Amino acid sequence: MDPHLLIPNPDAIPVHWLWLQLLLTLTTALHLVAMNIMLGSGVIALFTPFWLGDAVHPMRRSIARTLPFTFAFTINLGVAPLLFLQVLYGQFFYTSSILMAFFWLSIVALLIIAYYSAYIFSFKYETLGRGPLFIGVSVLLLLIISFFFTNNVSLMQLPETWVRYFDDKSGWLLSLGDAALLPRYLHCIFSAVALGGLFVAVLYEVKKRRGNAAADGERWIRHGCTWFTVASIFNFGVGFWFLGSLPPETYSAATVEGRIFSVMMLLSVFGIVKAVTSAQVHRVFPAAAWAIATVFFMTVARDVLRMAYLKPYFSLSELPRVSQYSPLIIFLVLLGAAGFVCWWMLKTVWNAKEVSS
Amino acid sequence: MNYPIWQLDFAGGGLLIAAMAIIHVYVAQFAVGGGLFLVLTEAKGLRENNAGILDFIKKHTRFFMLLTMVFGAVTGVGIWFTISLLNPAATSTLIHIFVFAWAIEWVFFLGEIISLFIYYYTFGRLDDRTHLTIGWIYFGCAWMSLFVINGIIDFMLTPGSWLETGGFWGGFFNPTFWPALFFRSFLAIMIAGLFGFMTATFLKDEDLRLAMVRFSAKWLLAPFILFLGSAWWYKAALPPALETMIFDRLPGLQPFMSAFVLCSALLVLGGLIMAVRMPSRMSRTLAMAMLIIGLIYLGSFEFIREKGRKPYVINNYMYANSIKKADLAGITAGGVLSSAKWVKNREIQDDTLYQAGAEIFTVLCQSCHSTGGLLNDITKRARFIPSDKLEAFYTSMGRERNYMPPLACNPAERQALTAFLTTVVRE
Repeated sequence: MDPHLLIPNPDAIPVHWLWLQLLLTLTTALHLVAMNIMLGSGVIALFTPFWLGDAVHPMRRSIARTLPFTFAFTINLGVAPLLFLQVLYGQFFYTSSILMAFFWLSIVALLIIAYYSAYIFSFKYETLGRGPLFIGVSVLLLLIISFFFTNNVSLMQLPETWVRYFDDKSGWLLSLGDAALLPRYLHCIFSAVALGGLFVAVLYEVKKRRGNAAADGERWIRHGCTWFTVASIFNFGVGFWFLGSLPPETYSAATVEGRIFSVMMLLSVFGIVKAVTSAQVHRVFPAAAWAIATVFFMTVARDVLRMAYLKPYFSLSELPRVSQYSPLIIFLVLLGAAGFVCWWMLKTVWNAKEVSS
Repeated sequence: MNYPIWQLDFAGGGLLIAAMAIIHVYVAQFAVGGGLFLVLTEAKGLRENNAGILDFIKKHTRFFMLLTMVFGAVTGVGIWFTISLLNPAATSTLIHIFVFAWAIEWVFFLGEIISLFIYYYTFGRLDDRTHLTIGWIYFGCAWMSLFVINGIIDFMLTPGSWLETGGFWGGFFNPTFWPALFFRSFLAIMIAGLFGFMTATFLKDEDLRLAMVRFSAKWLLAPFILFLGSAWWYKAALPPALETMIFDRLPGLQPFMSAFVLCSALLVLGGLIMAVRMPSRMSRTLAMAMLIIGLIYLGSFEFIREKGRKPYVINNYMYANSIKKADLAGITAGGVLSSAKWVKNREIQDDTLYQAGAEIFTVLCQSCHSTGGLLNDITKRARFIPSDKLEAFYTSMGRERNYMPPLACNPAERQALTAFLTTVVRE
């Protein structure tokens, strides 16, 4: 069956697709930063006690305190790219979600359990959180959820695999036949671990600068930087594996997408090298800035890669458009106003903390 | 028509959407009314200089945060997931028309998260006025989320001038927007009272417990008259045809109407009883019962609102089976098997009659009918219709049975559907 015939007709978008693509890229990058911190710091909290024993508890406790926040922001910042993805690629995304509907819907239940488990780890650290159980459950479920997300991303850009639906309509399909699936997934996980490590370093650097660093604060800055460096080095290898698994036409220099993708790859390599070299000398904030810039470059590369995958079937410029810009303007105004109010609240609480400390 | 269909059989007929939506909406309404409850209770504690009330509201905030920010937020995402799996065409329509309304709702959701975290973690660390201001910001964001979502939800019931103009604002500020906003706002305040019972009945100090339970009872009872008034306004704002459909025509809605009326009485009665001094265990049990009644109450309303749109999912625009009203005649003439993208049996042969019928059922009927499940079980319904009467039944769809979409099948496809339905019933 010709996969072109299966692709649903898209609905009309209300503004030029570049607006939506810009919002998709920006919010995806923010979501990925939050998700990386959440998952990566969770992995560190889970595994570090196995070789550092009880000495790790101060650092683990610090992670435990932040997990409810990182969960909340990961989910919130995930909503926006999910929205913009549906507007631009709904005909692909809904289809792939339906093909793996059972797994996709199970994310809701898994996420609730992972979230509450993280809260127990956080709120009941001294009584229930010191062991590996609650953080282990949380991390394991997050890894499963990430795997399902990776599968959906893979399925949505491979319409040629959709005909499997006619053999199994019960929503149990995954994209296991995609050679890029595993390296893509591992690339995400190693990236999360790296950023989780950097987050630990930032946490203690902030404490140090605010004058309330623990006695062993320097140790955890070094520890976080080590996690970041080691995971980033591993991720180099996984990244090249991922690159090698991609169809050559997706990054061919003969296409616009291929050229943008290549530039983003080079910028990403440059960014991560700068981040690692900064982390090596424990210059935590420059390392974090370069790491976040790298996430942004990788997000652009990811979006361009999706366009390249779907090029035989679809181009964003083909989307029908019925222009209505006033809702976009209202959204941007409210975003600015909300940003101001949030800034005021955070400034207020930051100053209050300084007073109380 | 446009998308593949998740074969659900037992869980078909909208069961997953109903389950996810009712639970989420209950918690989401609490997230709005409960926000007002937080700040006004804190203000009461400060005004009366009552450390017990302030301690209570801090604990209540923790409960509130754990319920709304985890369960409420994730089931909210869950609704998106569910509707996009079960009705992707309607979801796509809503997402494309209202993308920036959803985006605005996301901004307020972000504001809710930040303000609620700060509110919870700064009890006793900020001066009273600033802390209350943060609480008001939370409530403002939560209510604005309701404001935005309300416009989209009620668009599905009454799309208003959007049907003619395609304009965003005409669809958003649709005919039932304002009554529904008041209706949901008062309901949210009442739900705050129900959850107030839950935490108040766990207080150990008997006098404080009674005071807080009575305070919560006021939240439940005081807005009730206004709530009923807004319900009447909501009903009056419905287009006459829709009002007739909901209150007179739809056969399955009567139990939900009865449940709504009965639960109204039970909530008022329960609220009055809660205000009586009683042992803590009894008050906790009653508080739990009230919470369940509240869930049934909200569930009944949501069922009425959801089912009231039948035969449409977006009133007068898209039928429940995702066929646009404007496309119906063309699909019926050409045949659903030719028009749908995700079917295998485009031609009907003698040996594929049953399989083709099964596909037609999946495409046209599964959105409302389960097979052997809880909601609108087709095996039970088809059993009472002799196979030779099915043809007449098909013809009545969209006419006498105007709560069902017209059957978008050509004559050969009707035969195939009959073959499938009679086989399913026999099995």
